[in-house]
This record gives sequence, C-alpha cells and structure tokens, in this order.
Amino acid sequence: MEVHEFDTMIPTDLVNIGNQSLTRTYTHTFPSRHLNMQLLRTFESEPLSPSRIAEQFVETLRLDGAGNEVSVYGLDTSNIDLGETEQGILCAIRGCVVWRDTKEYQYSRHGPFIFHITEQNKQYLFDSLRQTCFNQHESIEAPPLENMGDHIRNILERWLQKQLCESCQNSLLLWDGSLMSPSVNRPITPLMTLLNIARRERNVILAFSKKTSLTAMGHRMNTLVNDKDVPCLLDIDNIIQLQYGKRLRFLGKVYIAKFSRGTLSFRLDLDRRLSQCEGRFAAEDLLRSDLIVNSYPESLRLAHILSRFSAGEVIAMKRYITLHHSLRIVPQPDVRQILFGPYGGA
Amino acid sequence: MEIVSCPSGDIRKGDYIIIRDIALNRSLVVQVMNVGYANIPGILEDILRESSLENIEGRENDFLGIQAFADIIKDAKILRCKIRRAIIKGRLSHDISWTPSRSTSQLVTITDKAFLKLIGTPTTHAITLGTTKEGEDVNINLSTIDGKLNIITGKKGTGKSHLSKLLVSNLVRKGGICVVFDVNGEYINIGYDENNEKTQLYDKIHVITPGKNFQVTLQYTGLGVFLRIISSVLDLPENSAWEIRRIWLKLMDNQALTLTNLREAIDHVTNNYVRDALIRRFDSLMSTGLFTDNPRISATLEEYFYKAKKGGGLIINLKGLPSSFRQIIVEFMLSKMSTLLNNWIIRALFLFAEEAHLYLRKTYWEDIVTRMRHLGIFSTFITNQPDSISESIYRQADNIFLFNFTNENDLSTVSKATMVDVETVNVITKELPPRHCLVLGKVTNDFPLIVEVKPLKAKVMGQTRLFFSTIQPIGAQ
Repeated sequence: MEVHEFDTMIPTDLVNIGNQSLTRTYTHTFPSRHLNMQLLRTFESEPLSPSRIAEQFVETLRLDGAGNEVSVYGLDTSNIDLGETEQGILCAIRGCVVWRDTKEYQYSRHGPFIFHITEQNKQYLFDSLRQTCFNQHESIEAPPLENMGDHIRNILERWLQKQLCESCQNSLLLWDGSLMSPSVNRPITPLMTLLNIARRERNVILAFSKKTSLTAMGHRMNTLVNDKDVPCLLDIDNIIQLQYGKRLRFLGKVYIAKFSRGTLSFRLDLDRRLSQCEGRFAAEDLLRSDLIVNSYPESLRLAHILSRFSAGEVIAMKRYITLHHSLRIVPQPDVRQILFGPYGGA
Repeated sequence: MEIVSCPSGDIRKGDYIIIRDIALNRSLVVQVMNVGYANIPGILEDILRESSLENIEGRENDFLGIQAFADIIKDAKILRCKIRRAIIKGRLSHDISWTPSRSTSQLVTITDKAFLKLIGTPTTHAITLGTTKEGEDVNINLSTIDGKLNIITGKKGTGKSHLSKLLVSNLVRKGGICVVFDVNGEYINIGYDENNEKTQLYDKIHVITPGKNFQVTLQYTGLGVFLRIISSVLDLPENSAWEIRRIWLKLMDNQALTLTNLREAIDHVTNNYVRDALIRRFDSLMSTGLFTDNPRISATLEEYFYKAKKGGGLIINLKGLPSSFRQIIVEFMLSKMSTLLNNWIIRALFLFAEEAHLYLRKTYWEDIVTRMRHLGIFSTFITNQPDSISESIYRQADNIFLFNFTNENDLSTVSKATMVDVETVNVITKELPPRHCLVLGKVTNDFPLIVEVKPLKAKVMGQTRLFFSTIQPIGAQ
C-alpha cells in the first residue's frame, strides 16, 4: 500500500460516524467526568545555570552531512470548533501527510470530517472511532465535551500514523508532538503499537514538538543550546527522566534539535529503543533528505499548513452543515466584548 | 447599496436585481454598478497558502465535498448597486425612501425578459434597438423619440453612426421623415444592403447634394433666409445688410430678382466699403453652387418632402465641402425647414446632426433645440466630442445613448450633464465593448440599460479606411 492510496484506506466509518452524529439524537446520557489537566508541576530543586546543566547532564551530538538520502514523511492533523448547537458542539478534523519524492513534495490530505458532539453521543463517538480505527473494543470513558474535538483529532492522527508506519519502509516518519504518554488523553497502547510497527518496518519516528512544557531544572530547553555546535542534537533524556520520569511515561528519548543557526530549536523525541548513535544517524539522514528551515523539517511544516483550517473553510463547513443537516449554530454572545468593550484586551 | 452575492453567479455591471422585502411587501429595483470580491476574513490567508503550495502535487480526500463550498465562499462577490426604482403593490414607484431588511429580504436576479417587461418596453409602434446581454430584443416605442431631443456620443469606432443609421432607417420604415446632415457621406447608401442590392428603403432615401442635384433660385430662397445666411454665416455688418435688403426689395418690385441683376446692383452701390463687403459675400454664396437663375434645374425642399410624405430620409450630403459652404447650406436648410413647418407644409421631422459643431456654432444649436423643438424639429446629435455640445443641451436631452468613453475629460463632460449620476456613467461606459451603449432616458423608462446595438443590414460607409487593410492581423484566420 502506497501513501497516496490512503484515501482508499480511510475507514468509511469515519465519515459515516460523523454523519450519524450530525443527524441522530441520543436520549441516553452518560455521566460527565472531570479530568485533572494539571499534570505537570514545576520541578523544585536547587538553582543551576543553563551552562552548568549543559555540562553536567546534557550531551551534545554534533551532526555532519554523512547521512543517507531516505524517504521522509511528515504528518500533522488539526481540529477546530465550528460552533455550538442547542445540543452540543460541532467540530471538524483534518489530517495531512507530506512526503518528498525526487526532491519534490507531495501531499495527501484527509478530511475535513465533521462531528456533532453532544453529551448524549460523545461516548458512542469515542468508542466507535477507537473501535473503527484501532480495533479497540473495550470502552473507555469519553472525555469532557469541550475536549472531544482534540480527542477525535488525536484518533485520526494515530490512525494516519499507523497507516504510515505500516506502509513505509526504511523511512523517516516525522510527527508533530512527542512520544510521551502524559495523560489519559493519549492512550499508551496505540503509541506503543505504532512504535512496534515502525521498528518492524525499519522506519524511524522523529516527533518534533514546536512547544514543550518540559524544562531542564527550571530553564527553558532552548537556553541549553547555542549556535556554535549547529547542526546538533542535545541529549537531555537523563535530566528529563530525572525530573518527570515518575509522572510521565517517555516512549522516546528526548533531545533538543538545532539543525540551523538562529533562535529556534525544537524538542525531538526518538524511539527509546534506538541507541544514541542510531538517533544521531536518523537526524543526519533527515538533514540529507529534507529541506530544513529554521531547524524545522519542511515536510512537517507543509503538513501543518495543509491540515490547518482557514476562516474561509470554517464558513464553508458551516454552510455545508446548514445545507445538508439543517443544524442551527447558536450564536454565542461575546461576554468579554459585552462587559469590557474595547478595553477587553485579547 | 452593497449586496453580498454567494454563490456569485454571472452578475455584471449594469445588471438589474430585485431586493424583495417580504414583510413590507415591497421590492427595490437596483442596478449593479460595480462587482468586487467580498472581503471575507481569512481569504487572503487562503490565497497565500494556496499560492505557496501550488507547485506541490497533492491528493485531496475531501469526502464531504467541503472544498466546493470553500471555493464558492472564496468567490463571493460584493455588488455595489444603485437603487433605481421601487415596486410597491406590483407597480413601479419612485418612492425609494425606505430600506429593506438585510436579514430577511430576498435577492431575486431578474432575467432580461422579465426586466424589459417590468420597465414596460413596447410591443407595438416599436423599433428594435438591439439586444440585452441575454439576447432579448430591446424595443423602443417611437413616442419616446418623437418630439424628443437625443444625443448619441462615444469615442470613435464604437458604433455611434451605426446606431444613428439604425434609428434613421427604422423611423423611415415607420413613416417618419428624417433629415440627416451627412458630413462624411456615410448615409448616402443607406438604401442598399451589404451586397450592394437595393432594399425596401431605397425608394424612400433621397440624397441631396447641394450644388449638384440641388440648386435653388433667389426667389425660392427668400429675403429672410438670404439675410440670415449672409448675416450669421458670412458675418455681414448691419449697414451692409440693410443695403442688400434695399437692393433685394427693389429687384423684387421690378420682378427682376436674379443672381445677375443682384450682382449688378451690388456693383452700383456707392459706398466702397459696403460694396466690397457685399461683393465678397455674394461671391462666397455663388461659389457654393447652391444658387441658380435657371428655373429648369432649380429645385425646392418641398418637392423632396413631398416625396417623403409617407416616410423618407433626406440625406443632405455635405461630404467634401469647405466649412463655410457647409454652414451656408445647413443654414439654408434649417431656415427653409422652419418656414415649411411654420406653414404646416410638413408636420414634423427628425433631424440627425452628425458632428454638428463642424457646421454650426454651439450657441446656434442651443437656439435650434429650444426654438425648433416647438416647430417640430426633433434633433439627434451624434458626436465623438462631447464637449462640442453645450451643457444646456445635455440638460434638455430626453435620451442619451452613451457608447464607450475612456478619456476622463470626456466622461467628466458627459457625466456632469446627463440625467443620471456620475458614477453610473463613469463605471459603465468605460467598460462598454464596441456596438454596446448605455441607454439613458425616456426610451427605457429612465432605467439605464446596456444594449448591444442591432446589426444594420445596409451598405456600411462609415468604416475607417485603412492603409494596411489587406494585411491580416496577427491571429486572424
């Protein structure tokens, strides 16, 4: 199966489940659950300067241009709230895979898929999608309504990642985010399964985080790296394990990637089963095989751009919903505007 | 009034739309003045994103077909419209002081057929001017031209003379009498078709070429007309005018009013200055060839009007004549026609004056417009120099047929004086293709309307003569 044939693999249920959510109403209710979203707390320790942290806990891996040219696939997804109905919320998700083929980029974009999520149908949606995409039959309590969009997007993302892992060999798979299981938001089983499949197909997963809440003893990660060793990887796995190991499960080794000079560096998670040397080789292969702008791989940047929804598309989806499903989006008053007028701030 | 149009459809400048307020049971008839893209938030981002990705090959798995909706929204248009009239209780009304609801009003695109029905274009006593964008015939009632002042203007090569010929031929067919001052000899073959075959009009078209097939005696001319010519056209001083008047009356008394006797009498004028002035004017008149003493070859306008009594066109061929000659002839014709109308020898006539500034002073035309209108001369001015027609004539015009203008000064002249707003003229006429005109006035019930002028099945004479006419333009088959 080739990447460009993904469209034939998209479970039609994803479309059908979305459509059902837009048409059906459910009478049975499920108790809502409150998640503790505050997962991370500041690590308290004696203050260390970034240079001392770098000396004691961080290993710099300089990269050279000896990498091999391999296939690179970038994958990203996005979701957006379209509005509220009298019963619940409307959201849309979309995913995109971008790859580089003979120096030229190509993409396969999936979606948008639109869902009408209510308190009545959210459990059904959550279970059905997980069952359809990952063949997981056991029921897990659905997250709160307001977080359902993120979770449905996550399911699509994991599904696309699975397709990539299965259909590619000897390739670099670039994901947006981390290889960490911080919460119930990201079930551990699918991620482990994905890593196993990738290993089996001799693919290397490189997960780039544009933003990270992890710090190295209270210091932001990008303060640990400077321009003199560029391009390089900073192995900060030890210090991260030390700080967060008890609370979070890291399925990947954590690095800081700085591939080009400038202000930007990114957290990079590489499969924990890969040795430091193998990780360095993967990064060197990436430098050889993809265009790097501001330390960020172009294929992932394009995947991000292509998956994002524009304002025009949001209007288009609202029009679609109105025309095909006669759902009325309830306008919500802008409380901030009403209360504070022009002094409301952003 | 601005209208968001989504999906935008094929709405163009000049089109009409009806805004129906169901709650008020009223509608507004608006005309599209400008069409632009709606400024929808995020559209610029979309366009930039698409342009940056245009070299990337991709596959869209858009199962819900959202892209089609997005494209429609991207192409959403803003229609800037002018309110022309209201429809209240099913009738056109000038009461446009109310505003329709913008949330509940319905937008109805009106077909050209329905629009023409709405504005009440006639089916009887009508001539077909041309067609609308949708190919509907635009018929105009003859009564909207009868007794009216019309102006046909536009830059050269846009089809002014074509429309003028169309009006002349249709008026003649319907029994009207038309007099055309034909500066370029464009109308002389109006009785022939493209294949040089005679048409039904042939017998109704009478070409008058002064000095050749049209010469008159002094007696037929009459003292009044003669004095008007030498005073207003040849600038004869008042004293000399009195002298010629005295000579004329004396010769009349003696029944000896001939060109020879008149010249001889002038030669005997004792005052040198007066004599010289009269001789110069007399020689000028003689050189036109308009006058003769020979009663066998002399003609009268009455004869021509008699021939045209059941409809006909009198084409006064001024082609190739010097400016002063043209002025003399036109002055003669107008003076005689006034006399004939005054005496009810003819009831009324339609006068077509092409590039009128070439043979009559601007102030004189104003006089014609105000004075002769009451006599029954209904003028149509055709010009590519709008500033050659005075503002007061524009203000009195009942119908204006505006062809393409791109020159700002020309547009400013026309728009200042026409019966519609400046914006309508500026926006629409700038983009009119050849043979299309914006019709303003009574003929379209005061609804500005773009009309593609009907082709004329006549031998065309007004085409620009080209040096390289035998060379095929690039791309021509």
